[in-house]
Amino acid sequence: MPTQARRLGHRKLKTENRKLFFMQVYVNEEPVELLPGMTVRHALIKAGLLDRVAAGLKVYDEWGNELGLAGALSAGNKIWVR
Amino acid sequence: MRKLRTAIFVLILTILALTPAYGREVNLRILYVNDFHGFAEPYKSPGAQESLGGVASLAGAVAGLRKEKPTLLLAAGDMIQGNSWANLPRGKSAVDLMNLMRFDAMVVGNHEFDYGQEVLRKRIAAARFPVLGANVEGFKDGLKAYVIKEIQGLKVAVIGVVTPDTPVSTHPKNVVGLKFLPPQAVLEKYLPEMKKQADLVIVLSHIGYQADRDLAAKVPGIGVIVGGHSHTKLLEPAVVNDTIIVQAWEHAKALGVLDLTVADGKVKGFSGRLEMIKPGQGREDKAVGRLVKRYANRVNAVLREKIGEAALDLEGEHVRARETNLGNLITDILRQAAGAQVAIINGGGIRAGIPKGAITVKDVYTVLPFDNYLVAIKLTGKQLREALEHGVSGDENRAGRFPQVSGLSFTYNPRALAGSRVKEVLIGGQPLDLQKEYVVATNDFMAAGGDGYQSFGEALRSSRDFSSLGGALTGEKLAYNDAGRWLRDVVIDRIIKEKKVAPQVEGRIKQID
Repeated sequence: MPTQARRLGHRKLKTENRKLFFMQVYVNEEPVELLPGMTVRHALIKAGLLDRVAAGLKVYDEWGNELGLAGALSAGNKIWVR
Repeated sequence: MRKLRTAIFVLILTILALTPAYGREVNLRILYVNDFHGFAEPYKSPGAQESLGGVASLAGAVAGLRKEKPTLLLAAGDMIQGNSWANLPRGKSAVDLMNLMRFDAMVVGNHEFDYGQEVLRKRIAAARFPVLGANVEGFKDGLKAYVIKEIQGLKVAVIGVVTPDTPVSTHPKNVVGLKFLPPQAVLEKYLPEMKKQADLVIVLSHIGYQADRDLAAKVPGIGVIVGGHSHTKLLEPAVVNDTIIVQAWEHAKALGVLDLTVADGKVKGFSGRLEMIKPGQGREDKAVGRLVKRYANRVNAVLREKIGEAALDLEGEHVRARETNLGNLITDILRQAAGAQVAIINGGGIRAGIPKGAITVKDVYTVLPFDNYLVAIKLTGKQLREALEHGVSGDENRAGRFPQVSGLSFTYNPRALAGSRVKEVLIGGQPLDLQKEYVVATNDFMAAGGDGYQSFGEALRSSRDFSSLGGALTGEKLAYNDAGRWLRDVVIDRIIKEKKVAPQVEGRIKQID
């Protein structure tokens, strides 16, 4: 696995001469692993935090911007629920 | 002499017309939306205090802002798929809306491919604005790499890029023959020729905010990135490496406004904001309101359409407690659609039953209201057994995790300790082999660990490699993944095909003492 990919928490995947990644993202600094194409909502399900959003908490990216639940994620993304 | 002077004057005018505008300031307003997903009417998000959105209000805001300055109206992808208002007319409603609002350009998002290439070609043909996709290779007739717009003598190049992950977020058949090239390489290729023709380069991007920032850091010379895909509510423009980056959240709940002062091919000043779109503020665009209503009526008519017939009552009341014929019908359909040996879904995902008689589209939408899609994952027999154990561990509370299954049968003792309730498990009539792998269809909610199901995540974590089989992204453990089609649509298509359904309770799930 390339060093950069390892650093980003990627798992290398191969498909038709392309490299894809099985995503690892971070919710409140805890790692969760997701399928390609999964979204903020899936990360929250995985982290057991979806109910907190339904109760009024919001999701933010690492720059403090609010995210929609259907927002796409990419490997290494860090999101916070607060 | 006079003729010579006239000729020189004409020559200068011609040169000025053909080259970027230097030596003068032009004020330009960019209005932008992204990830509309067909949410034409206002709605209240989970946890939100108030309803937001509504494209009639959005169009009213656009009209007001357009009057103030020369304006470009841009869309950063995922416009035609998502909500029923867009899905049932297969994106036509969204394109009609964008025509009416006089959009200047859009980039394709990954979800624009969800209806297949033929439908997308039709939508592009109907669009009275350019549809961009510079990094999409192999899409015939329609997608442009970039366009040059002229606003008060200012030449603006608008180029579109979409996420290279598109093939893994839609059904593989939708992207057969297409290649999604890396946005950075494509921009580096086109930038020199765009710079020769334009004062300002705008990238309409559907690659997500983090990728936009990376792009700006790596590719100098981009004036503005109007982004989408990550549904980021970017209240103010960000600046990376002199590139301004903006994004306007999602679902027409906000309209992005970016005012630029451009001179000598450079952005001399800018200010930007999001205008929140709220219903009932008296600035709705009436023509857009009529279009929304017209399509909403058509959608309602489609929802009332008969798609088949139930030969008996399809029981949705006890899906959290026992095997039901409706659970069997749905899981059978999902198992077959994914080409899986087994299907398991959470009973809590089935929200209603359907009485004997005609089945309408709306009936199926009521049964399966959640925007879930089909996934199939290879589980070991041990993981499959653990999934079933988890499924019946909340039996006494009628928990939503209670499984509805296809391709297997099992017995369990509800009075045994949770975790050791499952007894005999048969797959296709044969005893479960704990070491063997089985392809198990489920929904994305459970695959992500919803209702506490851990087996799917464990299986995926053990994947060593992914590969492509017949054009489909598959992994060692991932057998099927179609994020572009909701489960209810899979079920509807199957009922249309079958015409009449008569599922039975056949002893797939049995309680024992």
